[in-house]
Amino acid sequence: MAQILVVDDSSTVRDEVSAFLRNAGLNVATAVDGKDGLSKLQADPAIRLVVCDVNMPNMDGLTMVEKIRGELNNKAVNLIMLTTESSPNMKERGKAAGVKGWIVKPFNGPAVLEAFRKLAS
Amino acid sequence: MNANPVSSANPVSKVLVLDNSAEHLPQIRSFCEHNNLVPLKVRRGAEMAVLRTNIDLGGILCSEDYGGTPEQTASIAAEIHAARPELPIILRRNARATLADLPEAVRGSFCAAYVASEMSGLRAVIAEYIFCLLYPNALLRGIAEIGAAVLRTQCSPLTVSMDTPYIVRDRVIFGELFSLIPLESAWCRGYMMLQTEEAPFMRLLSRQRSGDAGVGFRNVNDLLSEITNLIWGGFKNRYMSDDGARLAKQVQVPLIVNHLHKYISFGTENPQLCFRFNLFDPVAGGAVTMYARFVFNLSWAPEQFREIQQGASGLVDSGALELF
Repeated sequence: MAQILVVDDSSTVRDEVSAFLRNAGLNVATAVDGKDGLSKLQADPAIRLVVCDVNMPNMDGLTMVEKIRGELNNKAVNLIMLTTESSPNMKERGKAAGVKGWIVKPFNGPAVLEAFRKLAS
Repeated sequence: MNANPVSSANPVSKVLVLDNSAEHLPQIRSFCEHNNLVPLKVRRGAEMAVLRTNIDLGGILCSEDYGGTPEQTASIAAEIHAARPELPIILRRNARATLADLPEAVRGSFCAAYVASEMSGLRAVIAEYIFCLLYPNALLRGIAEIGAAVLRTQCSPLTVSMDTPYIVRDRVIFGELFSLIPLESAWCRGYMMLQTEEAPFMRLLSRQRSGDAGVGFRNVNDLLSEITNLIWGGFKNRYMSDDGARLAKQVQVPLIVNHLHKYISFGTENPQLCFRFNLFDPVAGGAVTMYARFVFNLSWAPEQFREIQQGASGLVDSGALELF
């Protein structure tokens, strides 16, 4: 049972983010792309926060969050994008899909830990 | 080339100088200094060895007397041309700046000729063959800043310095490991390619992970992939507006990679813009070299280049959470 799902095709990022969050006492699961993220989220109802990249193979992150709100009809889970993208159009698309926040990589754990704790509780 | 923490000077280009003339060498040196060329003087007989150890060249300046006789010079030029046909070999003639009087078989090794009494002719040749694409200073500065910042965060605690950006006509791949990612905008279409050597990169990663002996090539691949992604993201956010991808035509050309010869072609004669980053471990003493090459093989319109201006409210530090 995880509280946070980290979705990123880069194992470097998955390892870095999940190690930081686990060291902070949070339960973390990981997924390698949007498709994998959707199935992990469906399989674990304890997940409260999804931290998700945008550019990924198979299914990109914005499509994934749109499916979470649409097809899965999951309005409860909190969605944060962690990405190299910072274009206003992308952010608008994320907002429209119900994304709660946006982080431009690289990941800075201490800067976001408290917010993650709140969103994952 | 000078190594600076972050350099944004005009690009330079490395050229081999095959010229033994005591009379003209100072003139060539001075010409190089004033025309953004970095000359590497080559001792007779060492041409191929120097060529093998310098895989990021822009061209070759060769005197017709270099080999001792015109035939020997032609033979050396033919050997270089066969090994690296993408390198323009510019011939210094004694009498007239022409290749027309050379035998046809010899002529094919050279791209142009010049005479020492008329160096403006050489200037025109290097403008045509080496500095044929203009790169905005803001672009050079930005890539340097983005690359250095990404490497500092991803390769901590290594120090990062970089050489002056330079123009390369060579297509030889450095190291065993490289990544490619497309760059698509209204003003440019091409690729960014990062190249590095696996072994020093793996040692760096092992040290980062406290001497973890389980670090393998896939871990190294992953780190290079993330570095590529971050530099690409920085480039895109700074220089590519959202409409870029829509405006870009969907023309593509095949890329050719020949592993045996460590050779990559993007299907264009255009030179490449190259940034060399030097990573140094101040504690353990190891070093890693990483090249970032930018190849705008599909489209290049620097007159449409612009940095994306974001409003103050749109500016968020990387790593910080922007809540909606």
